[in-house]
Amino acid sequence: MGTLIWTTIGAILTLSVYSFLYKDNPFYKFAEHLVVGISAGYYLVIYYYNFIDPNVVTPVFQLRLGDQAIGFGSGAWWLALIPGLLGLLLYTRFFPRVAWVARWSLGIYVGGYAGLGISPVMQARVIEQIGANALPLTSVTNVLIVVGLLGTLAYFFFSMKHKGILGALARVGIVFLMVGFGASFGYTVMSRISLLIGRVSFLLHDWLQVV
Amino acid sequence: MRREIPLAITFLIGVFMLVDFFVPHHGVSAAAEEMKQWGTIVIAASILLGVGNLIRVHFRKIRRKSDGWGYSIMTLASMAVMLYFGGPWGTIEEGSAFNWMFLNMQVPLQSTMFSLLAFFIASAAYRAFRLRSAEAGLLLIAAIIVMLGRVPLGQFLTRGLPEKATLPWLTETIMAYPNMAAFRGILMGAALGVMAMGLRIILGIERSYLGGEK
Amino acid sequence: MERTCVALAVAALLTVSLAGTAGAQEAPVEEALLDAAPPDSVAPAAPGALAARDYLDSNDAGDKIELDWELSPDDGEGSCDVVAYRLWRSQSASSPGELVTELSPGQTHYVDQNLEPGAQYYYSITAYDGTNESAPIACAPVSGRVNLFQTTRLSILVLMAVFFALVLIFTKLAERGAELFVRRIPGLNAIEEAVGRATEMGRPVLYVPGIGEIDNIMTIASLTILSHVAKITARYETPLIVPTARAVVMSAAEEVVKQAYAEVGQPDAYNPDNIRYLSDAQFAFAGAVNGIMLREKPAANLYMGAFWAESLLLAETGFEAGAIQVAGTAMVSQLPFFVTSCDFTLMGEELYAASAYLSREPKLLGGLKGSDWMKVVTIALMALGAILNFMGFESFVNWFQTQ
Repeated sequence: MGTLIWTTIGAILTLSVYSFLYKDNPFYKFAEHLVVGISAGYYLVIYYYNFIDPNVVTPVFQLRLGDQAIGFGSGAWWLALIPGLLGLLLYTRFFPRVAWVARWSLGIYVGGYAGLGISPVMQARVIEQIGANALPLTSVTNVLIVVGLLGTLAYFFFSMKHKGILGALARVGIVFLMVGFGASFGYTVMSRISLLIGRVSFLLHDWLQVV
Repeated sequence: MRREIPLAITFLIGVFMLVDFFVPHHGVSAAAEEMKQWGTIVIAASILLGVGNLIRVHFRKIRRKSDGWGYSIMTLASMAVMLYFGGPWGTIEEGSAFNWMFLNMQVPLQSTMFSLLAFFIASAAYRAFRLRSAEAGLLLIAAIIVMLGRVPLGQFLTRGLPEKATLPWLTETIMAYPNMAAFRGILMGAALGVMAMGLRIILGIERSYLGGEK
Repeated sequence: MERTCVALAVAALLTVSLAGTAGAQEAPVEEALLDAAPPDSVAPAAPGALAARDYLDSNDAGDKIELDWELSPDDGEGSCDVVAYRLWRSQSASSPGELVTELSPGQTHYVDQNLEPGAQYYYSITAYDGTNESAPIACAPVSGRVNLFQTTRLSILVLMAVFFALVLIFTKLAERGAELFVRRIPGLNAIEEAVGRATEMGRPVLYVPGIGEIDNIMTIASLTILSHVAKITARYETPLIVPTARAVVMSAAEEVVKQAYAEVGQPDAYNPDNIRYLSDAQFAFAGAVNGIMLREKPAANLYMGAFWAESLLLAETGFEAGAIQVAGTAMVSQLPFFVTSCDFTLMGEELYAASAYLSREPKLLGGLKGSDWMKVVTIALMALGAILNFMGFESFVNWFQTQ
């Protein structure tokens, strides 16, 4: 009986969302506002318990029962203060006189992570591609790959107008891009349909139990 | 001074992360790992900013009784309930009310919205049928070939033909050659764009995302 | 008969070598048995020479040692009773230390991991037949060397340096006032047209900066474009709605838009309620944005940044609502959907080019030029590699295979 209530709630919410396909209506509005509210509460709690508590609060305050004395924590608790502080500094934006601190706290975070992303991207997308695409034009497939790559790179060349040889290459590039996009599109269709099958099976099998 | 110190710290951290990729020394990689951890913590700490904004926007709607203010009450109430169940007096373990609301409300709502894509992909494909240009036509043909080639229907439709004319073979070939070549090209260009922008951020040249500071 | 003789000969050899090796294992010498499935009392012959050296790999923190040895004469031949090779490791020369691992017969190579960089290790290896162990074969002490630079990644460093040099050169040139030509990018002009159309119809502009986090470079590029769009909407007094999926992105968007309105001289027109955090949850966000599209009816939808599966949900709903749509993303998996559903799409690098192009700051164009010439360099290297490969010289291309 308990399970039926739960699945009924899930089914009502599911159907409310599907009503969107017809047009905007109170059921969809209800479902939409509900999920926004629930997810906001959810992420607030989860982020606290999964990130802030184990990495900042516990090391610094050691407030957990069952541990040693309550007080400033053990180990490199001061190290845990740094991200906590950086995070807190983001809130200075509400105080106009020190709002600039928030901006810079953000700047440091973004700048650091920019450095992180650069090298792996270079490795995977440029260096290894040089090795992978240095193909002698001895077979149809090699020619296809090389021409496709050259054409696409020509399309993304911004320094010159797309006229003459560059223009022709860029047009070839567009052809390859469109075929590539079409292939990706077709590739994804079945996986999206399977999502629908999943929900319909929930409705018909788990809830109505007719299938 | 206000500008120089943060710029310097940004530069140092950015360069340190770059260096970590090339220097296998334990000390360097341990420090870098620690700093990567910090990133997730900073982001998690900022969630209140978002929730605060949400509360403010909906509160104002309720106060001004704008269109749909009833639903705003819904949003704030459901968030409050979630917070109540997940707060320090409650638990977020399996079986708790918090978990129950997540599994029976948030999950079905999200999965159903995800499944709407099945309908939308059909409507997008239908619109592509209207062939606005030669390029759209190419996209369409490739999409149909791959779509059919991936399901038994494709095999069935071309069962009598020589291997290289069957839909599954065409699908595989399209995915392996033109698709791959085009994506390698796009990704290479995008990678260069990312790196140039990353360099500018580390050097402090790119600051528009910070808004105020010029 | 033959087997017995060989076994006895081996036993004799073993006894001799046992006498001369310090720290040897106890190998009981008993009568040889002739049963088909022996636990016999004769240890197999020792493996061949053991060599150990510091292991070079992609994560060479000096904590790995590579070992090679030769097969024992009784492995697969001779008395055929080697069941395993036993690798011993110690930090002193006087004791055999601990058993590191047992390796199956036929193996001649092993990489020992999780060692202390710089510490000295003494390795020895024996052949084991289930009950008896051969004499150990040892090698000179070895320690893992901490490399300060990962040489396998040298090609990455070199080319990155080349690229950065190109970017900085062109940036300097632009700062000095040189004219840097950049071709017209159709999607970018479409952005301004879209905003113009929304103004004419008296309806808002919707700008979705993607659902990526602030450290995603696509999001940063999006915020740069947002700044430009906000200036236009400020000038024309068109409402601009910016829904976000991340709290920090929301704060950054608030700063960007507020600053843009101030720069155009319309600080009071800035409406903070229009920059909204919706949800971290992907589809809750998409559903809420769809709600905005249907209820507030923006006439122009701009999708710039990192998108995942929700891209199609947004674009299709926007299309149904009749808005003019311009998208820009480097997520190649989502580009097909934006291309089918939007009026213009900025693909991949065009998104990053847009931020340079729209801001009209000459120094940002330096990055674009640098990228372009780097593409030329890359193509040249590929061509060179292809020719060399064809002629049989594969080392050039191999330099680019990194770990």
